[in-house]
This record gives sequence, structure tokens and C-alpha cells, in this order.
Amino acid sequence: MNHILDTLLVILLLSCFLLLGTSRLAAAVRMTAVQGFMIGLLPLAIEGGEIRLRVAILAALIAVLKAGVFPWLLMRTVRSAGTTHEERPLVGYGLSTLLGVAAVGAAFWLDSRLPFSAEAHSKLVVPVAFSVMATGLFLMVARRTAICQVLGYLTLENGIYIFGLAIVSGIPMLVELGVLMDMFVAVFVMGIAIFRISREFDHIDAAQLTSLKG
Amino acid sequence: MVPSFYLYFALALPALLALATLLRLSPAAQLRLLAFGTAGVALGALPAVIRVWAGCDEIVAAQGWLRLDALGALHVLLLLAVFVPAAVYARRYFGVEIAAGEFSAGAARRFAALWFGALAMMLLVLLANNLGIMWVGVEATTLLTAFLICTHRTAGSLEAMWKYLLMCSVGVAVAFMGILLIAAATRHTGMPATSALLWTNLMATQGKLDPALVKAGFLFLVVGFGTKAGLAPMHNWLPDAHSQAPSPVSAVFSGCLLNSALYCILRCLPLAEGVSGNTGWARGVLVALGLLSMLVAAGLLLAQRDLKRLLAYSSVEHIGVMALGVGLGGLGAFAAMLHMLGHALAKPLGFFCAGTIGQAYGTHDLRRIGGVVRQAPPWGIGLVLSLLALIGMAPGVLFLSELLVLKAAVEQQAWWTVGLYLAALAVAFIAVLRRAIALGWDSSAPPPERPSAAAAGADAWLLTILPLVLLSVLGLLLPMGLAELLLRAAMIVGGAL
Repeated sequence: MNHILDTLLVILLLSCFLLLGTSRLAAAVRMTAVQGFMIGLLPLAIEGGEIRLRVAILAALIAVLKAGVFPWLLMRTVRSAGTTHEERPLVGYGLSTLLGVAAVGAAFWLDSRLPFSAEAHSKLVVPVAFSVMATGLFLMVARRTAICQVLGYLTLENGIYIFGLAIVSGIPMLVELGVLMDMFVAVFVMGIAIFRISREFDHIDAAQLTSLKG
Repeated sequence: MVPSFYLYFALALPALLALATLLRLSPAAQLRLLAFGTAGVALGALPAVIRVWAGCDEIVAAQGWLRLDALGALHVLLLLAVFVPAAVYARRYFGVEIAAGEFSAGAARRFAALWFGALAMMLLVLLANNLGIMWVGVEATTLLTAFLICTHRTAGSLEAMWKYLLMCSVGVAVAFMGILLIAAATRHTGMPATSALLWTNLMATQGKLDPALVKAGFLFLVVGFGTKAGLAPMHNWLPDAHSQAPSPVSAVFSGCLLNSALYCILRCLPLAEGVSGNTGWARGVLVALGLLSMLVAAGLLLAQRDLKRLLAYSSVEHIGVMALGVGLGGLGAFAAMLHMLGHALAKPLGFFCAGTIGQAYGTHDLRRIGGVVRQAPPWGIGLVLSLLALIGMAPGVLFLSELLVLKAAVEQQAWWTVGLYLAALAVAFIAVLRRAIALGWDSSAPPPERPSAAAAGADAWLLTILPLVLLSVLGLLLPMGLAELLLRAAMIVGGAL
């Protein structure tokens, strides 16, 4: 049993519920920052006692990007877009949270049918990864503001990252750096995109972007 | 010169040009840089392609992380065959807007920088030997091309950009799951993590990979990269992005972006087939998705009223033909490679002509454009003939390749496939032919608002006639050298004659 690892995973799971239950965009961005920080700590917790330099550098980089730079960029976007709340979500917050609970249940059931957990560092890693992914996908579908969709995308990526930690012993450093760079550019580009949409339409309600059809 | 140098050079040149566009240049100078720079990139990348074409099996660089084989060389060749004319055409397309004062220096700089950036990343996808680096390249092309869609900042283009950005980012994230699963499948090969994800190593150690994980990974990769390739039912972003983007960008999207995503699936195919014991399981997935794409696209082609959306749905159909051909394997894989060649010639031509005619008429609405053969000679003729080539009129490369796909399906006695394939082709044929005739010769439509935009010039004739000549000549008489390259590429994905 690795208590630190399990603690981190439980915090990650809780952050998903808070993401599902909040309407305030700033709070949601802060929640992804917390999530990003936990993600940064995960590889260190998995390593345990001896921490290699390579792992430490990556962990620091992930924590700085996901808990510092991304939230900062997104906060700026929230402010410039002039929208503070998710006004009319497609699925209400109470129901979202309930669905989140169902997703966790489904994640544990799915994990019990798959062979991944046998070799993972903790029995919680894979189910938590599935839950985080499900939360991300759900946010992208059930929320109308473009910011929430970006947060959903980041959450999905976080889930995939946790899954990767559980089942792959090591991704080459160069690939990890490339993935992080892509993530950085993605948040940057999406931020600018939201800014432009909010200027053009006076709103960032992506559900209203429906003039192109057929 | 050391061959590996060619690969570094091919990648570094567009990246340097992207930096060069940041200089303060006038829009016209920026467009000149775009045209000559893209031609320069083509010249820089050609030595590597020619070397492989001439018989060299592969060029390897960066300790095996970069690699060019016949499949890659064919894709790089087609990439250049689309990018160079598109850059030349961009000068003309945006020239009209510069004259109208609609294209600022800032917009030109942004466009050129993103153009070269996207070119560099697409080359990276084709040259990467590492599954992870390939993924990084695909995601980077999504991000870099997003703002090319909304070069003109209209409500429609912003909507299309947002849809493209989100759908493709999520799709590519799903593909990353597939990569993780394949990485997990290498546990028992005893390879260090740094080299386990190299294609060459994956292929060499097929026997030791975990089949269930590779199969699951392949499905994720097909869904993920299939989103980017525009395979139905993940194609929703495609018609919006293609119709809202400026025409040079639409040409690049249709001719290169879709192919480079399909290329990633093609790479995974022999791996998934080999690991699952050559039972045809992975091929079946591609056949099903290919047929579905063709049928969906054919149905939607019937309902189109917008010229560029018509061309966009035709891209979904053609990607479907390619996936189907590769899925059938054998002769079908060769036909798919030939189809890729024909599509890379015909579709950009269609978008160039549609763009210029759209500028002249001030709309892409099919009901308000007509009689273009007489109204706008080279562009109108080019548009009608490219539409005919795209629906597989003889003589044309696409006629030949579609015939060969049919032959492959008949040889395998896959009668359901034959039936659905022919039905989709017939519906698409009727849908597009109807429009093409009205576009070309319907004299009841109003004349163009701005006929000067579609003026004929040396560049106009060159851009329209050259692809048409190539399409019909190659359809009649495929040179041995080219056929050999196509065959070698096809053999990598399990093809044979």
C-alpha cells in the first residue's frame, strides 16, 4: 500500500465532483489547477523513496504548467470574456454530481473486468483514471460555455495521463515533452479562440454556435 | 552527402521559414514568401523522396526516430504536390482581397507563419518513426491550422474553428489512449521504454506483443485519428471547416491534413493485423468505416446547396474509398494509393476554382452560380472537369482507382461490400453530376458581381490545366516508375498486385 499515492488519487476524485457541481467559472478553473498539481505529484508518489532526476524534472514541469500557467491563461480568458457563471447548463449540477457518482461506480466495475490493475501501483489508479476521463467528456458535452469545454478537455487529458502512469512503465522523455508542449499550445490557442468568439458574438455560449448545418 | 541529412533539412526548412514570416513585410511580400518558400521546402524535401523512390528502402536519421520509407515518401510527394500549388494559388486568392483592402499585414503574417508551421508539423508526422512523436505532430497540426480556418473573422468561420478545434483535440486525445495501450502491450518484449514505441521495433517484435492490448489500442487509434481523417461517423467538423476556411487552406485540409491522419492509421494496420494473426480483423474495421463514410457522404452530397460543402462531403467519400481499398488489401491497397494520388490532384483543383468563382460571384450558393464555363473560362472549366474527375469519370486516375477497388472486392467475393460500394458511388455520381451540369452551363443564373476576380492569366491556366492533364494522362497511362512507388507503398500496408 502506498498511502501518499492513494491520498492523491482520492483528492483527484473529489476535485472531479467539485468540477461537476460548480457554476462559477473561476472556481472551476481553480479546481483544475488543484487537479494539475496532484497530477504533477503522482509520478513522485509512484516512485516512492528514490526519485530519479528525470522524473523530478517532469513532475515539476507538469505542476508548473497544469497548476500555474494553464489556470493563469484560463483566468485571463474568463476575465476578458466577461462571463463569470455557467448560466444554463444542459445538465443541472445536482444531476451532474449524481452522474459523477454513477461514473465512479462504472469505472470500478470496468476496472474489475480489465487486467490493468494487477500490475498497477495502486488498485485505485485505473478506476480513478476512468472516472476523471468520464468527467472530462461529460463536461465537454453537458456545459455550454466554451471555457467549461476547455476545462473538460484538460480533465480528459488528465485522466488519460493517469491511465498512462498506471499501465505504461515509461514514456520516452521526448514524447512527454512533446505532449506537454501540445497541451500548452492547445490551452493558448483555445484561450485566443474564446476571446475572439466572445468579441464576435458577445457570449461564449458554444451551444449557440449552430448556424452551420447539413 | 549523408542521406539522414536530407530528413533534418526537410524538417528544418519550413520551421525556419515560419520564423522568417515574423519579419515586418507587406501582405504582398508575405504572399511571395509563402509561394517561394513553399516551393523551396519542396525542393528541400525532394532529394529524400527521390532517393527512396529510386530504390533505397529507407532513410533513417536521429538514431531511428526519423525514418522515410516508400509509404512515407509517397505521402510526402503528395503533400508537396498539394502545398506548392496551394501556396501559388494563395497569392492570387488573397491578391483579390489585398486589392479590396480586406487583407491586412497582420493577417498575412499570421497566415504565413501558421502555414509554414502546419507544413513542418505534417512533415514531422510523415517522417516520425516513433508513435508518440507522430501523435505530437498530429495534435500540433490541429492547433496550428485552427486559426487558418478563421483567417476571415466571420461568425461562421469562428464557429467552424471552434468545432474543429474541440472535435479534433478530443479525437486525438482518444488516439493517445490507443498509443498508451500499445505501449502497455510492449511490456514483455524486454525493450527499454525509449525505443519500444519505434515503429520498426514494434513491427520486429510483433510476436511478443500482447494481442488484446494491441487490438484495443488499434480501435482507439482508428477512432481518434479517424476523427481527424474525416471518417464517418466522426466527420461532423469537416464540412464546416472546409467550407469556412479560405480556399488555399481548404485545399490543404482536403489534400494533406486528412491524408496525414489516415497515414497514422495505415501505419498501425499491419501491426494490428500481424499481432491478431492475419485474420483480417483490423482490415474489417477499415472496410466498415470506409463503406459507412462513403454512404453517409453520398447521402449528404444529394442535399448540398453550397459549393464548398459539396467538395467537403466529397472528401469524406474519397477518404472512405481509401480506407475501403486499404481494408480490402492486396490489389485494393494499391488502388487506395492510386486513389490518394488522384484525389490529391483533383480536390485542390476543385477548391481553387470554387474559391475564385466564389470571389467572383460573392457566394458559394449553388443556386446562384451557373454557366461558369462561359463566364469565367479557366476556373469554370477547371471546376466542372475537377467535379467530373472526382465522381470517377473516365479517363481519369480516380476512375481507374475506383475500378481497381471494385475489382479487389469482386475478387474477394465480398458481395455486400461490392453492392454498398457501387450504390454509394452511384448516388455520389448523380448528386455531383447534376450540380456540375448546372454549374457549367445553366445560363439562367445571374452573372458574376466581380468578374475581375476570376480573370484569366498565365497562372490561372497553369493552375487549372496542369492537374487536369496529369489526371487524364496518368489515368490512361500510368508510368512504370510511379506504379512501382505506389506498389511499394501499398506493400507496406499489406498490398500486392
